[in-house]
Amino acid sequence: MAKTIMVIDDSATIREVVKTTLHKSGYDVIEAQDGKDAINKLKGQKVHLMICDVNMPNMDGITFVKAVKQMPNYKFTPIIMLTTESQETKKQEGKEAGAKAWVVKPFKPETMIAAIEKLILP
Amino acid sequence: MDLTSVKQTFLAEVVEVLQDMENILLTIESFPEDKDKINALFRSAHTLKGSAGMVGLEDVERFTHKMESVLDRLRKDEIHVSHDMVDLLLKCKDHVKELVECSNGDNLPDEARIDEARFVGYELSLGLAKYMPHDTSDETGTSGLRSYEGSGGTGASAVGAILASGAPAAWHISLRFGKNLLRDGMDPISTINYLSKLGEIVNLTAIDEALPKAEEMEPEDCYLGFEIDLDSSCDKATIEDVFEFIMDDSKILVTPSKSSKLTPAHPPAPVDAYVRMIEGLPEDSWMLGEILIRGGVLTRQEVEEAMKKQESEAGISGEKPLIGEVMVKEGIIKREVLNAALDKQQQARQRAFGQSRQQPVSSTIRVDAEKLDLLINLVGELVVANGGIKQWAENSGATRLMKTVSFMTKLVNDVRDMSMKMRMVPIEASFTRFQRMVRELGTELGKEIDLVISGGETELDRTIIEKVADPLTHLVRNSVDHGIETSRERLAINKPSRATLKLNAFYDAGTIVIEVSDDGRGLNKDRIRQKATEKGLIKPDAVLNERDLYNLLFEPGFSTASEVTKLSGRGVGMDVVKRNIEALRGEVDIESEEGVGTTVRIHLPLTLSIIDGFMVDIGKSLYVIPLDMVVKCFSLSRNDYLKVTSQNYFAFQGKPIPYICLNELFHETSRGGNCAHLVIVQYAGQKVALAVDNLLGDIQVVIKSLGKMYKDLDGVSGATILGDGAVALVIDVPGIIKTFQTAK
Repeated sequence: MAKTIMVIDDSATIREVVKTTLHKSGYDVIEAQDGKDAINKLKGQKVHLMICDVNMPNMDGITFVKAVKQMPNYKFTPIIMLTTESQETKKQEGKEAGAKAWVVKPFKPETMIAAIEKLILP
Repeated sequence: MDLTSVKQTFLAEVVEVLQDMENILLTIESFPEDKDKINALFRSAHTLKGSAGMVGLEDVERFTHKMESVLDRLRKDEIHVSHDMVDLLLKCKDHVKELVECSNGDNLPDEARIDEARFVGYELSLGLAKYMPHDTSDETGTSGLRSYEGSGGTGASAVGAILASGAPAAWHISLRFGKNLLRDGMDPISTINYLSKLGEIVNLTAIDEALPKAEEMEPEDCYLGFEIDLDSSCDKATIEDVFEFIMDDSKILVTPSKSSKLTPAHPPAPVDAYVRMIEGLPEDSWMLGEILIRGGVLTRQEVEEAMKKQESEAGISGEKPLIGEVMVKEGIIKREVLNAALDKQQQARQRAFGQSRQQPVSSTIRVDAEKLDLLINLVGELVVANGGIKQWAENSGATRLMKTVSFMTKLVNDVRDMSMKMRMVPIEASFTRFQRMVRELGTELGKEIDLVISGGETELDRTIIEKVADPLTHLVRNSVDHGIETSRERLAINKPSRATLKLNAFYDAGTIVIEVSDDGRGLNKDRIRQKATEKGLIKPDAVLNERDLYNLLFEPGFSTASEVTKLSGRGVGMDVVKRNIEALRGEVDIESEEGVGTTVRIHLPLTLSIIDGFMVDIGKSLYVIPLDMVVKCFSLSRNDYLKVTSQNYFAFQGKPIPYICLNELFHETSRGGNCAHLVIVQYAGQKVALAVDNLLGDIQVVIKSLGKMYKDLDGVSGATILGDGAVALVIDVPGIIKTFQTAK
């Protein structure tokens, strides 16, 4: 069965890019536009990996990661942070919150897939 | 990757985000301390930068990065909101739009436009730089060792492919996973699985020495380690890259295996192999450091160190030594490898020159509006022809034919809907244009005005939108110019100093209503009456209701001169507004209360050519009533009929509404059906009961104009040809309602 990946980003473009990339590699995708939306959509949903932007309205990425780490069903789910070059400190914050993996925007599709494959089995 | 859908999403997003930005910018001066707004602004710039990067618009990415930097400082309270800054950011916003448009045209944008954009961009960058601290010389964030790989990993694909032709090397990897590995969501199996993609894992030994006694073991901790022998043609950096996410907490050591002939202290391949490899690299970068990293000669870290070294030496001698020289000097690379890389750089530069002007392919197609009109016309004919076939098929009674025809009818309807849709655009864009105008006009006149937009998603025909733009501009201008008081005047009469101008659009019974309303000083009825009397438009003692009085404003020549401004305002070109709207089969009306404000309402038909109609017969002729105006149909009993005709009104839902016998209106000779049916129609909030002889049901019609000869015909707005070739007249409901009102 295809693995499910949740993409959390307030930019529709980024979501679309990630979604297209992931679909092509055979993953199922759930989209969420911010941390809050993601937590609502997580309820009972099996998710194998999350890809999460840092700067978002309503609930930012760091807060979201911290929240996920408190959820018994999801605390072991790997999270990839989407950062930009200027967000080195955010990357550190993300790591401390529990998101050890990251991909820097803008990324190539294969970079994203490589990051995912380092974390979960196909 | 298929970029079509992405590009479309991006374009839509840009429009949306820029609009958000503009909306915030236009209100931020009033709430300079509103952190949410500032954060939202920053986020907008950040989102644009990220998205532009993803679709490869580097110009946009670079420019939005600068905006982001300024907004970041704003967010951190290092600088504060000012009028100038808002103006600058508004201009920046426009520039981003221009940049996106320049890169997106089907036709290549002309050189002049690009140059202009460059120039504007340069000026704006200078403007933005004023808000940055002076010591940060490099704000682009895109120079230097910038890499699209980001996390670094996929140099593997390129380098791996090149090296695959060479001899595979052997590597030994010592892995000791961190305790928190599992808690961080990392999976040792996935890591090993990924590693196996780079080559063949010849040998893997699990190290369990760290494993504590069962009673001390934390189930969520990781105690695992591996010793791995890997045969891989990849370079060291690529292999290390596999572990990039677990590097922080785990111990990882990658060394050339003893079985290979390489010395451990130096890069794991012979010099000539590197030279070959560098020559084989694809030309997509010309940074020397980058080339060396790509070539697997160096790891990113080593290059960064060398660059630091380069900087520090520059400090001593005053001029930077060449980075390649630094590397050779430091013994990081060999001279031959450096030379190969330098050749490569030269080659890449030459190529890049030829490539820089390539334009991305756009997925939207611009179509000549005329062609679209032609298509709609053809579709109209198709609908009519289909109606004819349908009728014949039904008459023939051939079931199979009827089946096919009904399927075809469905398809024709789909084609019709789709082609109509191509012409529908949301009104949002026309509304938001006014943000700027209102702001600028307001500042000029000493008025503070908030423009509130609602219903922007309402869609209407492109031609209508185009044609309604001028009248709308007129109305908005009028409101700002004459309707709204200056801040000082407002305060004097206990109104909030900021005025509100509202633009609203919504659907109402098959028409689109556009409202322009302000909370300004309203219309002064006495002055209008006085003025109208002076101009001889009305008799001094004429009795007029409010509506008629306001309608005088639309009379040509009602007001032309500057004293209009002294009068309570409006009048400038209002007759033109009315004429334009009526040309679109629309209506304008005004509602106003002195001291409270004015609302101008424009009613417009949804579309111009194909409509769903309701066919009735009156006397011997067929008529079509636009279906979207029909509220309800009734059959009248003999008693009701007599009652209604004697009273001349009909009680509909408890309210009396006017009753009009179309038979009489059109002077048809009745055939005995004798107005036994009522059709309740509604237009612009007015309901009227139309009496007809028979109800024939709904039908799609293509409205044809009656031509110049009949253009002033009352009660009929057009004609249509039915499937069997018969002609039916289209009833002009608004016209009938209006005539009825005037008659009264």
